[in-house]
Amino acid sequence: MRITVPTDDPALVGLVHVEPEEARILVSLADQLQALLADALESPVDDDSAVRRVLPDAYRHEPELADEWRRLSRRGLVDRKIGFARTLSTALAPVADEGIARTVPLTMDAALDWVRGIGDLRLVIADRMGIIVDGDEGAFAEPGLRDVYDWLAWMQDGIVQVLEVREPDAHPAAGGPS
Amino acid sequence: MTSIAPARARTDGATREQVIERPLHAAEVPWTIVVWNDPVNLMSYVSWVFRRHFGVDAQTADELMIQVHTAGRATLAHGNREHMERHAEAMHEYGLWATVERAPR
Repeated sequence: MRITVPTDDPALVGLVHVEPEEARILVSLADQLQALLADALESPVDDDSAVRRVLPDAYRHEPELADEWRRLSRRGLVDRKIGFARTLSTALAPVADEGIARTVPLTMDAALDWVRGIGDLRLVIADRMGIIVDGDEGAFAEPGLRDVYDWLAWMQDGIVQVLEVREPDAHPAAGGPS
Repeated sequence: MTSIAPARARTDGATREQVIERPLHAAEVPWTIVVWNDPVNLMSYVSWVFRRHFGVDAQTADELMIQVHTAGRATLAHGNREHMERHAEAMHEYGLWATVERAPR
């Protein structure tokens, strides 16, 4: 896989050169993430620690406020996260199916979905590997999982870099630093 | 943004200006959005999220990211609860671990 900055098309922020095997791995992971998130919407309690990490409580010490926030925010948040993962699946499924290396173009919206979908995949894999604190190596992970985890980190960092090329100044949002 | 500066009497040169103190309505009680350290999210990604969402410059974003990494947490904004909850939702959308906290008094 290579991530490059397109020079000739202002509508695109990145080009991802992807091999079929890489596409197959990503499609499989993104599909599993969508299923995990869909299950989380149906489940009254988060008994999966990975779900608790992807969808954490918004309050630590105020259970009533945490419950209220969850009631109001959770469905929309989960729907959007499923959408991020679906963007990955939809873009990469043709490469996986055809078995031919391709260049996948990333618009700004697609890049924002990719960078967040990949981030959610890393959170879930880290949980499965038993990474709890800085420096954990995921000692209980199956060997290939560590490679996938590091590969996703490289990919996410690459997309952040192309986003920074196109968007050097951040969008000012309401609410600055304290 | 709701100010958390204490109301107080001020002396400005020759004119003396009395700031009237009034009790805060419950909706005005200041809250903060806190982002917590985690072992997963990349430092480059966290810094980019801070720039993109909170509109801070690169140096400030890096400083806040380092603070999260070394101190375990950083306060990114303060204001009313509804506003802080929107920040929390956005941070969770980015996969960052963020909570709404009462501002220290």
